[in-house]
Amino acid sequence: MQTSELLQSYLVDANTWDEMYKDASVREQYKKALDFLQQLSIDELNKKEELAKRLFMSQGITFTVYSDGEGIEKIFPFDIIPRIITAAEWDFIEKGIKQRLKALNLFLKDIYSNQFIIKDGVMPAQMIYSCPHYLREMHNFPVPYDIYVHISGIDLIRDSDGSFYILEDNLRTPSGVSYMLENREITKRIFPDLLPHNNVRSVTEYPTILHRNLMSLSPRQIYNPTIVLLTPGIYNSAYFEHTTLARMMGVELVEGKDLVVDNHKVYMKTTSGLQQVDVIYRRVDDEYLDPLVFDPGSLLGVAGIMSAYRKGNVAIVNAVGNGVADDKAIYTFVPAMIRYYLNEEPLLKNVPTYQLGKDDEREHVFKNIERMVIKKTNASGGYGMVDG
Amino acid sequence: MLSRVADSLFWMSRYMERADGILRMLKINYASSQDDIQEFSWKPVLRIFTFLKDEDAAALAKNTRAVLQFMVTDKDNPNSVLNIVTQARENGRSVQDHITKEMWQCLNDFYHTVRQERLIDQLQREDPITVLDTLIKEGLLYYGTTDVTMARGEGNSFINIGKLLERAIQSADILDIKFSDLNYELDKPADTTYWKYMLMSISGYELYLKTYRGGFEAKKVMEQIILNENFPRSVIYSVRHLHNYFSRLQNNSNSYGFNEIDFMIGKLESKIKFSTPDTIIFEGLHHFLTETKISLFEIGSTLSKNYFGHS
Repeated sequence: MQTSELLQSYLVDANTWDEMYKDASVREQYKKALDFLQQLSIDELNKKEELAKRLFMSQGITFTVYSDGEGIEKIFPFDIIPRIITAAEWDFIEKGIKQRLKALNLFLKDIYSNQFIIKDGVMPAQMIYSCPHYLREMHNFPVPYDIYVHISGIDLIRDSDGSFYILEDNLRTPSGVSYMLENREITKRIFPDLLPHNNVRSVTEYPTILHRNLMSLSPRQIYNPTIVLLTPGIYNSAYFEHTTLARMMGVELVEGKDLVVDNHKVYMKTTSGLQQVDVIYRRVDDEYLDPLVFDPGSLLGVAGIMSAYRKGNVAIVNAVGNGVADDKAIYTFVPAMIRYYLNEEPLLKNVPTYQLGKDDEREHVFKNIERMVIKKTNASGGYGMVDG
Repeated sequence: MLSRVADSLFWMSRYMERADGILRMLKINYASSQDDIQEFSWKPVLRIFTFLKDEDAAALAKNTRAVLQFMVTDKDNPNSVLNIVTQARENGRSVQDHITKEMWQCLNDFYHTVRQERLIDQLQREDPITVLDTLIKEGLLYYGTTDVTMARGEGNSFINIGKLLERAIQSADILDIKFSDLNYELDKPADTTYWKYMLMSISGYELYLKTYRGGFEAKKVMEQIILNENFPRSVIYSVRHLHNYFSRLQNNSNSYGFNEIDFMIGKLESKIKFSTPDTIIFEGLHHFLTETKISLFEIGSTLSKNYFGHS
């Protein structure tokens, strides 16, 4: 193997899965990419990283951290070495995630109606009723087409043997897809020709597919339903994503104060009067969605929106109350759910998880704390986490 | 279009126009300050573009570098270019899906440029014109990009309404304050350089030379800035085009709100159109300008009531 300046000091850790190297040889899928990278000096690679940072900054692909009363714009971490996932790997992941989401969606439908999973003794009732994100308001609620999870963010992790594990499910208002789309654009800029030469599948269809799916949910059977993306506003850390998706789909980006409910219908306030809204892709959390039903102090939501939802006059994406299904304690039951609802074996495995509520498991965790990650069961998005 | 979006587009555009006005004013006044250090004062600029008390403005008026610092990079001055551009960008940021990506990048680049720490040092020690030119160019890039890329719909109308309203108010303000320096005595012969620099600051110098022969006269300067239809910063030009862009908003659903503002703009346009330099002098220049500004402010607040009311 030829060693260029670039890789001389690169170390392969035997206990970790290395995407590019297998022992001392390069994996097949990385050969072309590596050839390309080896033509660059460290200096050139640094310049490309600088270019990437500048592009992110100038396009406003940033999030804001507030300190000393002043907002500081930060760009998203971006690894300029591409990660390659082969078609075979991707097919397997796709099947596994589809299976998992189907089961989770059936679980939500079940838990908010007949609760067979409890009655059949697969899951203890206490797991559900102790979860703060189980919303009694959603019980027997007619969710359109019984779809609860329209958009999900399933986190994956790779073990040292290369197999994929589910790290956690995000079924409430997951974000990240716009960074994937923008990363792809930046990659095109800093590595010209690399993508077409490697036969990389395109991701540009995403906004169109999302738009089509949102249109199909409209309660009014009309040619051009009004779809909006509901954001908490410009101070939300994912605001860039909200505005990017709205732009790419050509739909209206609204804040709670732009909407009003009249006679169980949702309208937006426009320069030419009120216009009825059919589908709301919301990025506002459940608890802030409707001050009449949830947190009465919330200014981010819309008073009366839940009643319009219940009447079937508006579709809300994702459905309300999904937090019960991506709870970290419920997570341990997902393989059982797949067996129970689908009568299939789970394709993607869970990361081994212990419940601190059980004496023997807690003891095991505390003994091996340096190798554990502890998560709050009802939190999401990396909050409430402790690394051992 | 959402009322909130219309509101943000309107203000984004007003702030950009204001930033442009401030920067041009600073550039030409700086040049003027190099001509005549003894007599030159920054007071008119501070009166037009800040809310400083008279004694604070007087304290600052002779210190060129301090004025530049205060007007460009000062974080605590709400009317500094830094804060004005930040406002424009924040407004643009909240309506990114209604402006083109190119426009958003212009706003964003302008913002990052004006925030650079080294500007403070450059304004203090180096040639300020270089700094001001860099910033003016950022603004021009925004104007051009808007013109070339922005779809000709409702959003574009609100952007132009904001720009032209701001420009009309600025031109009236500049004229009023420059003439108040002369106690509104229009026949009093003033220093040629006084008018020359003032016209240059609003890009009206060449047009003046081509239109009027025989040197600078206060009355002719006033005529150009209020009544010249070909001068893009004249009050009549701004109001006429404001009317144009506003009339594009007409539709069936908000005819009451539309008619109210259409009447106000039409009335103002007619008043200016059927004025001559002599009737303005007869009415009193200060009175005429004050009335014009009041009408413009009323148009702004009625727009806000009839089109932007969303909370």
